[in-house]
Amino acid sequence: MLWLKNAYVVDPIQGVSGVRDVVTRDGRILLLGRNIPADRLADGGEMEVVDCTGKYLFPGFVDAHVHLREPGQENKEDIASGSRAAVRGGVTSLICMANTEPVIDNQALVELVVRRGRQTGLARIYPLAAATKGLRGEELTEMAELQECGAVGFSDDGRGIQNGEIMRLALEYAKITGCPIVSHCEDAALAGQGVMRRGRAAAARGLAGIPATAESVMAARDVLLAGETGGRLHLAHVSTRGTLAALRAGKAAGWDITAEVNPHHLILTDEDVPLTNSSFKVNPPLPSAEDRESLLKALADGTIDMLATDHAPHTWEEKARPFAEAPFGMTALETALPAIWTYLVRPGLLSVERLVEAFARRPAERFALRAGTLRPGAAADMVLFDPDYEETVSAERMASKSANTPFLGRTLRGFPIKTWVEGRLVFER
Amino acid sequence: MNWRRKDLLDLEVLSADEIRLVLDTAVSMKEVLARPVKKLPTLRGKAVSTLFYEPSTRTRLSFETAAKILGADTASLAVAQSSVSKGESLLDTAKTLAAMQVDLVVIRHASAGAPHFLAENLSLSVINAGDGQHAHPTQALLDIFSMREKWGDVAGRKILVVGDILHSRVARSNAVGLSKLGAEVVLVGPPTLLPPEMDYLGVRLAYDFDRELKGADAVMMLRLQLERQRSGLFPSLREYNRLYGLTQERLARLGPDGVVLHPGPINRGVEIMSAAADDARSLIETQVTNGVAVRMALIYLLIGGGTADVVA
Ligand SMILES: [Zn+2]
Repeated sequence: MLWLKNAYVVDPIQGVSGVRDVVTRDGRILLLGRNIPADRLADGGEMEVVDCTGKYLFPGFVDAHVHLREPGQENKEDIASGSRAAVRGGVTSLICMANTEPVIDNQALVELVVRRGRQTGLARIYPLAAATKGLRGEELTEMAELQECGAVGFSDDGRGIQNGEIMRLALEYAKITGCPIVSHCEDAALAGQGVMRRGRAAAARGLAGIPATAESVMAARDVLLAGETGGRLHLAHVSTRGTLAALRAGKAAGWDITAEVNPHHLILTDEDVPLTNSSFKVNPPLPSAEDRESLLKALADGTIDMLATDHAPHTWEEKARPFAEAPFGMTALETALPAIWTYLVRPGLLSVERLVEAFARRPAERFALRAGTLRPGAAADMVLFDPDYEETVSAERMASKSANTPFLGRTLRGFPIKTWVEGRLVFER
Repeated sequence: MNWRRKDLLDLEVLSADEIRLVLDTAVSMKEVLARPVKKLPTLRGKAVSTLFYEPSTRTRLSFETAAKILGADTASLAVAQSSVSKGESLLDTAKTLAAMQVDLVVIRHASAGAPHFLAENLSLSVINAGDGQHAHPTQALLDIFSMREKWGDVAGRKILVVGDILHSRVARSNAVGLSKLGAEVVLVGPPTLLPPEMDYLGVRLAYDFDRELKGADAVMMLRLQLERQRSGLFPSLREYNRLYGLTQERLARLGPDGVVLHPGPINRGVEIMSAAADDARSLIETQVTNGVAVRMALIYLLIGGGTADVVA
C-alpha cells in the first residue's frame, strides 16, 4: 500500500483541485480524501508513506500522439526507450503511430506493439493502426480485426489522405469499430517542398514555405466529411486559425470531432526558427504568432480538446544537416510537461485544471482508455510533480534515444519527480 | 575601421560602415586588376578552397581568380549535387577541410543556411557564395560596387529589382545591402513570384514594371528559371516578357544616369532583350570584373590583415 499525504490533487473528472491524501492498494486507487485517518488503513498490510507537501499529484498523463519508431527505425527510438522517456515525462499511457517500417497496417504488427509494450512494463502502449494499407491512401485496412488486436484508432499520420473519397470511406467504415480516424491534415500540393510555415520568417530565411492552408483546407474537408458521414474524427496537431474555424463550425453543428494541439505550437513560433538548428523543423511547422495566440485561446476554451506531444525522434546524424535537408520532427515526451509548466502554466496562460483535463482526461475518454483519473477503483497511474524543480534539458539525461528537441540547453521549471504505473514506481527523479 | 568578422554569410549582420569598408577595399583591388602584372604576395601561404554543391563555373572562377591574385593557393572541391544524398555529409566535408588546414572556404549550396552551418562547425573562415534562396552577399556587394562606381553613392537612388523575387537570393541580398546604404529599393514581379511576405525586407513591392520605371536609376533584372513556368508560376514566357522583360523602350525611360544590371548568366529574349543587355547603360560586363575586385577585398579582409590598407 501507498499513502500519499498532503498532495495538491488535480482530477477534473472528480472535480477535485485541492490538498488531499491518496491511498493505493494492489495497483488501484483505494481512497482519495482529506486527512485520511490512520485507523481506516490499519488492516491493509505494509504501508509506504510519502509526504507530498508542496507537490502536485496528477493522474498519469495520456499522450495521444507518439512516434515510437518500432518496428524498423530502432536507431531513432524503440518501444522500450520510448516508454522510459514517457514515464520520465509523466506520461503513463500513450498512443503510438503507424508510420513505422513496415507500416502498422496488419494484425501481426499491432499485436507486436501491444506485446512489446507489456513486456517493457512502463507506460501503457496503445497502437493506432494505419487507416489505409501502407499509408498509401488507396485502400482501407482491416479495421475491425485491427481493433480486436488492440488498435484504438486509425491514422495515416505522417501524411495526409489526399483522396477525399478514401477519407470519406475511412470515416464510414471505422464506425464498425467506434474508434476515431485521426487525421494528419496536409494537402501535399499546397505544402509542396516547404520546410517551415510560409510567411515573413520563412521568406527571410530563404526557406520554402508551407502555407497555413496546406493544413486548414484538408481540415475543413475532413470536418465536412465527418458531418456528412457521422463518423468519428480526431484532428491531429492543429496549428492554424483556418483549422480552428473549421473545428468550431463542426463542433457547433454537433458532429463527432475532437482535436489535439502540440505543446511546441503553443510555445514557439516561426520567428523562433534558427536557420542552423533543424530541431525546430517540425510538421506541421511552427505557427505564426497570431496562430499561436489563437491556439492557446482555443485550448483554454475547449475548442481544442487535448494536448498531445507528437514526439518524433530522429538521430543526431539525420538532424545535423542544413535545415531544408533534415527530417521533420522533434522529441517531446520528456520535455512536454516541464515546457508547458514553464511557458504556459507558470505565466498564467493555462490553468492546471485545464492542463490535466487536456493532457489526461480528454485523450483517455476519446480513445476509450482506462486512464486519466484518480477516482477510487481506477488504476494507480500517478505523477508526483514538483512545480519548483529545475533542470536543464540535456541530451545526456534523455531516456529517449534521440534529443532533437528545441528546448535543448534550456532550463525548465516544474518536473515530474515520481511516476507510478499501476501503483509501481516506474520513475524517480 | 577594422574588419573583425570570421565569416561573410549574409549582409543582414553587417553595418553600413562594414559594407563601405568592403567596397572601399575593393576600389584598391580594382586598381591592382588594372596592372600589367596581377599578382600580390599578400596571402602567400594561405589556402582557399571552393566548395560548390551547385554548378556555377563563373562564380567559382571569380573567387579562384581573386584568391590567386592575392597569392593564395586554391583548391576546388567539385561536389555533384547527387552526392549530397548518398555520400558524405556536409559536416564530414567540413571536418575534412579543417583537417586540410584550409584558411577559407567558399561555399555554394542549394540549402539555405548551409554556409552558416559550416561556419558554426569550423574555426576557419567561410564565405557564402549563394545558399538556396537565402543570400548571395558577394553578388550584392559587387552589384552595389558597380552602381557606386557609376554614381559615387547609392543613397537616394531608386533601384528596381525585377523578376522572380521569391526564389532569388540575389534580390534578397541586394535589398538588404542597398537599404542599409540609403537607396530606395522596389521589388517588381508577378504576384506569384512576389508574395506579400517579401515585405519583411522593409521595401516596396510592385507588380507594374512600367509604372515603377518612372524615376528609376537602375534596373536589376533577375534570371528567370525556365522550370518556374512548368510549376505554373506564370502562364507563358511571352506574357512574362511582355510584362517584365527589359526592352529598349523600357530602358529609354530610365533616369539620365540610369544603369542595367544582371547577375548572369542572362536569358536573352526572356527577362532581357539582347539590345538592352548590350546597351551602353548596361553594367553587365563591368559586373564581372568588379566581382573579382569585391571578392579579393573580402578574402583579404577575412584572412589577410583585417584593415583596408592593402599592400600596394
Ligand atoms: Zn502528423
